[in-house]
Amino acid sequence: MLTNSNELFKFSRLIIVWLSIIFISVWAACYLFGFLIPHIILSMGSGDVFNFAAQLFQYLTPVIAILVFIPINAMFMVLVERRGLALFTVRMGPNRVGPDGLLQTAADAVKLLFKEDIIPTGADGLLFTLAPIIFFAPSIFGSIPLLAAITGNSDWFAITNLPTGIFFMVAASSVPVVGIVMGGWASNNKYSLVGGLRSAAQAISYEIPLVLSLLTICYLSQSLNVIEISDRQTGGFLNWNIFGGGALSGLDKYLAAVINGSENAGEILKMYYPQNSILTVIAVIALIFATVTAFFMYLTAACAEVNRIPFDLPEAESELVSGYNTEYSGIKFAIFFLAEFTNLFIVASIASVMFLGAGSSPIPQFVVDYVLTHVPAVSGLLNQLTALLSPLMNQFYILNPATFWSVFWMVIKTYSLVLFAVLVRGTLPRFKIDQLMDFSWKRLIPISLLVFFIAILSKGVFFTNV
Amino acid sequence: MATELTTTNLKTDEMIINMGPQHPATHGVLRLILKLDGEIVRHVEPVIGHLHRAQEWQGQNRTLFQYQALIDRVDYLSGMFTSLAFAHACEQIDGCEVPPRAQYLRALVCEMNRISSHLLWLGTFLIDLGALFGFPFYPFREREKLLDLFEEIAGQRMMFNYIRIGGVIRDPKPTWFEKVRKFTQEFPDRIDEYEAIVTQNPIVLKRTKDVGILDKQVAFDYGVSGPSLRGSGVNYDLRKVRPYGIYPDLNFDVPLGQNKGDTWDRYMCRILEMRQSNELIKQCLDKMPEGEILGKKQIAGLRIKAGEGFSAIESPRGVLGCYVISNGSDKAYRIKWRNPSFCNLAVLPSLLIGRPISDIMAIFGSIDVILPDVDR
Repeated sequence: MLTNSNELFKFSRLIIVWLSIIFISVWAACYLFGFLIPHIILSMGSGDVFNFAAQLFQYLTPVIAILVFIPINAMFMVLVERRGLALFTVRMGPNRVGPDGLLQTAADAVKLLFKEDIIPTGADGLLFTLAPIIFFAPSIFGSIPLLAAITGNSDWFAITNLPTGIFFMVAASSVPVVGIVMGGWASNNKYSLVGGLRSAAQAISYEIPLVLSLLTICYLSQSLNVIEISDRQTGGFLNWNIFGGGALSGLDKYLAAVINGSENAGEILKMYYPQNSILTVIAVIALIFATVTAFFMYLTAACAEVNRIPFDLPEAESELVSGYNTEYSGIKFAIFFLAEFTNLFIVASIASVMFLGAGSSPIPQFVVDYVLTHVPAVSGLLNQLTALLSPLMNQFYILNPATFWSVFWMVIKTYSLVLFAVLVRGTLPRFKIDQLMDFSWKRLIPISLLVFFIAILSKGVFFTNV
Repeated sequence: MATELTTTNLKTDEMIINMGPQHPATHGVLRLILKLDGEIVRHVEPVIGHLHRAQEWQGQNRTLFQYQALIDRVDYLSGMFTSLAFAHACEQIDGCEVPPRAQYLRALVCEMNRISSHLLWLGTFLIDLGALFGFPFYPFREREKLLDLFEEIAGQRMMFNYIRIGGVIRDPKPTWFEKVRKFTQEFPDRIDEYEAIVTQNPIVLKRTKDVGILDKQVAFDYGVSGPSLRGSGVNYDLRKVRPYGIYPDLNFDVPLGQNKGDTWDRYMCRILEMRQSNELIKQCLDKMPEGEILGKKQIAGLRIKAGEGFSAIESPRGVLGCYVISNGSDKAYRIKWRNPSFCNLAVLPSLLIGRPISDIMAIFGSIDVILPDVDR
């Protein structure tokens, strides 16, 4: 029974408004640096100097995009978190600043910027200042390889295409704990110290299941490159890594062939599943089981990695006041806060890229094809739209359809996971530190090893031809 | 440079942490001086008195009529009970008659107050377990309804000043009883809702089962009372053991902890008590007689006879005692409170020694201490 449908409507409106703000501003920055300024420079003259200057601006585009994106996105996520929790707990949430509370977090950000920046007595000033920076920096450089995957390998972000992207991101995501320990240690506060040490223990324990679950996917995709991984998953939800890491793509092709009335449907099935027997069915089921388990283990470990409830021991409010950031105020606290939410966004988008098909549409390609060929109204409408928008696309780069749809699906998937994290926060209490360790070392790590083993076995033995 | 780093030459020390009085989870202003070995608590010393308001002294220096308005603040979450204890003691001295309708109204509002107090406890207990923003706010939805009902009869939401010497001050309208009945019909569903989220939640079970086991004998030794005692399986409820008011006429069982007196038992005990109170409210509504509501005129120069009286009632936190000596003037000669939270808090250190930091708040939350009630 939905009693607060009005609040739900306001919540959705808030999400849509803020997402438009975020993506219009990011697009504007990208357009400026990736297209407009280089063109102006090139129009001024030709030669090596001008070419170099134009290229320099193009190379800067990913960095600018991220720098514009992170603060606005963090503000949006804080607002979504607060309003979302209010929605779950029959409250109103912040609704005073701006129309319907839309500007609440912007006001909070301004307030934090102008607050006094206090370094407590006895604190180590250098480490104390360095800690938020070390905590925040990885979320900038760690998220760069994601950009290409998110935007469907758009040429603005081609430079970010790392061959070992996922490795780089995982490596970057393990840096922030240094900042937490540093901040906790330098604060000259016992609560901070306990929080920092807890964080170190937690990060070490939970990185292993996190990496092992990602490793399963990397093995199934036979790549560390996020773009290759996301390209393998295009063409409908059957190809997504969460459903067996491509184990169902044969089924996808077979269904497509059947729907098109092709005669070689059986051959396609034979090609994808060479050992056409009950063992193949078992292997497919085992693979799906392995990847679904890996997905949920990734979510669990990622929750611990970004210190979210139920794993928010480093800042356990009812025990340690605020944990490692107890002593922080003003801009430094704002940076901690910013990085925390950015990390949440990054782990959510890694989950979308690795498991949920990155920017690919969940609708199977054969369904799209079937609708386009058999329902003339839809295809006619699409053609008209394309004709209408093509001058815009071609001349101003405004709506590159590939990039647009890629970002569109990516945003939906990532924010669904973010909202899931908010829901978890609104539902679960906190673990104890010993239970947290037990959960990681006695449950998650053995299971993730088992899942990895199952994946290797099923893939290696029964899908040798693929 | 071959110094080996072993546990023998690694110097470790106990760390002293001052938890509170400004800690977000100490339910107000309790200060705990903790000696920690890593995360394990080795020594606890509760420091109280930060919220001392000299309630007893104020009672001796204000007229009884004035003091009636103050005693809700002794335990601000169960104002009806503190008023009731004081009224009982004064009526014992004065010998004035309390009309039956007033008796029933008192039981009715007290049981409602017990529910509202336990609901707030449920929320804060879950916050203590670390569920910071989620279901802690659900209980407030029902509590809000109860507070609205209190507001309608008493004019105030927390400091009611409703139960007076000789009866109650206002007779509710018939529509109010209808609202209360509606609440009692809805309430079991809501409790089911909370239980569905909390009671079998694996993390809650992990955090509460076998944590803070309160032995019967230890509980007796420290004078623990209320749901914290009954969670250990001791059937001691003043409503049954030493019935007062109209409780002999009401039909109810005292819920007891089924396990061994751990945090989960105390939690369960309070949940069952809320259901129990709901039934009691229904019975009060059914049996509510007509008639007078006040046996003593409420005037500024309110006086009671000389003498002394002691009353003990079962408040949401345990045995609430009030001892009054009157010399026949409009002021009490001496007032002494026996507060359940004070005695329950005393048992805290024995429960905490040897437990990790995370358990401090789970255990502290489960014995439901209200700091104004401790300090007075």
